[in-house]
Amino acid sequence: MILRNLDKKCLLKTLERQFANNYATVTEAAKESREEFKALNLKHVKGQVVQKRAPRKLDVLPPRSKQMATDQDWGNVWPGPRTFHPSTVPLPIRQGYVEKGAPPDKYANAELMKIPNFLHLTPPIIKRQCEALKQFCTPWPKNLNTQEKLIENFPIEVTTSNYCLSSPSIRNPLARIVTLTIKVSSLSLKGAMDKFLRLVGERYNEKTDILTIVADRCPLRKQNYEYAMYLLTAVYHESLKVEPWENLKSEADMEYYNWEKNASKKSIEQIFGKPVEEIPNSKMYAEAVSNLMNEGESDYTIAKYGEAVRTLLNLPKTA
Amino acid sequence: MTSLLKNVISNTQINTQLVRLLHTTSVCCKVQAGRYRITPKKDFPLTYEMANPPHEIAHRKTWNSWNTSNLQGGLRSSETAVEDVFIRKFVSGTWHNLFVSEIIIKRQHNIIRVAGIVHRAINARKVYFLIGYTEELLSFWLQCPVKLELQTVADKKDVIFKYI
Repeated sequence: MILRNLDKKCLLKTLERQFANNYATVTEAAKESREEFKALNLKHVKGQVVQKRAPRKLDVLPPRSKQMATDQDWGNVWPGPRTFHPSTVPLPIRQGYVEKGAPPDKYANAELMKIPNFLHLTPPIIKRQCEALKQFCTPWPKNLNTQEKLIENFPIEVTTSNYCLSSPSIRNPLARIVTLTIKVSSLSLKGAMDKFLRLVGERYNEKTDILTIVADRCPLRKQNYEYAMYLLTAVYHESLKVEPWENLKSEADMEYYNWEKNASKKSIEQIFGKPVEEIPNSKMYAEAVSNLMNEGESDYTIAKYGEAVRTLLNLPKTA
Repeated sequence: MTSLLKNVISNTQINTQLVRLLHTTSVCCKVQAGRYRITPKKDFPLTYEMANPPHEIAHRKTWNSWNTSNLQGGLRSSETAVEDVFIRKFVSGTWHNLFVSEIIIKRQHNIIRVAGIVHRAINARKVYFLIGYTEELLSFWLQCPVKLELQTVADKKDVIFKYI
């Protein structure tokens, strides 16, 4: 213990010496002005008059709005978005709620500073900015004046979203999503429509005849756009493919009953001895048969079928 | 299994005995945050911000922080909150005893606007220095442009809304 204390003392002494050496120059310089220092007067003993310096008055300019010309250009006064400043805005604005009396005025009103203002976007300024932007715009094509022509010439519609946010990063993961819509009738799919719809599945809307592809699996928008375009091309060409075994498709393999290609048509032609177009009421019969085959047997379809047969063969109607 | 059942049964029996010992009181719905008590002499000064309790936000007063982080689907809300606390602490410490209003932080894209009302207690040169100093340091730390948009008042009493 004793040894330790001794060590500490030695350390302190060396430290003191170092400090003394360091501040030696300072003390010599300060010696000259030593006489100006006053003695510390903690107890306020009489006789020592403490001189109180009069507070210096700050000369403050009058509000800028009072010096403004009435025909000035407001865009030069308030060029960009900025927090409200009462001495710059020459408007008698009030903001706040007081139970009795007028709301607080614009001076020293923090509420006015909080709310976003559009003083930089006055109508003449917007007009001026639009004029300045016009040089970067190209005129709209004259022949593309209707929606139909637009869809006809530009069948693919690509939708993306940009997000404005208040953060140091402008990235938003939702901006990567690309939605591609196309009217299926604008694709030249003749016999391949059925295959195309089977490949596309739920993405096709029957009512509007619009196919929607949403691509969001890649991290960047460009990648997603390219992926969506790739999907469209792949689906199109895949549906156009015809495999050799497809020609082996027999009547039993058909997806739906087509009266024109079936035995029912042939047998009618055989019974009447003339082509279908010349047989009266053959259309009604064809419809009834295909409904019965496609929608399945029900009271309604069977009754319709019976009715069609009776009219076709000129039989009396049942009561 | 049987031992477990026995345990449960014995526990429920104990509980029925304990219910009597449990003392309950009615719920105390006291809220004190952001509200000020009336003083006997009615001489406690309040600014407009202080005079309106928190439930008046969006009715009589607005938020002191404006950003999109706290909206639905907003990004980096926690970072924004922490940064706001840091800005408030730094500004109130740098402008010691000078701000007479709350420190308003508005964010637009990557710009941070720090607004507030300052007491004209120091000369203009010092104010200019402090503005530059605060903007420079904050923009260095937060890695985005920071703007200080201040309004000055001659007297601290200018911002006082009422005395309670």
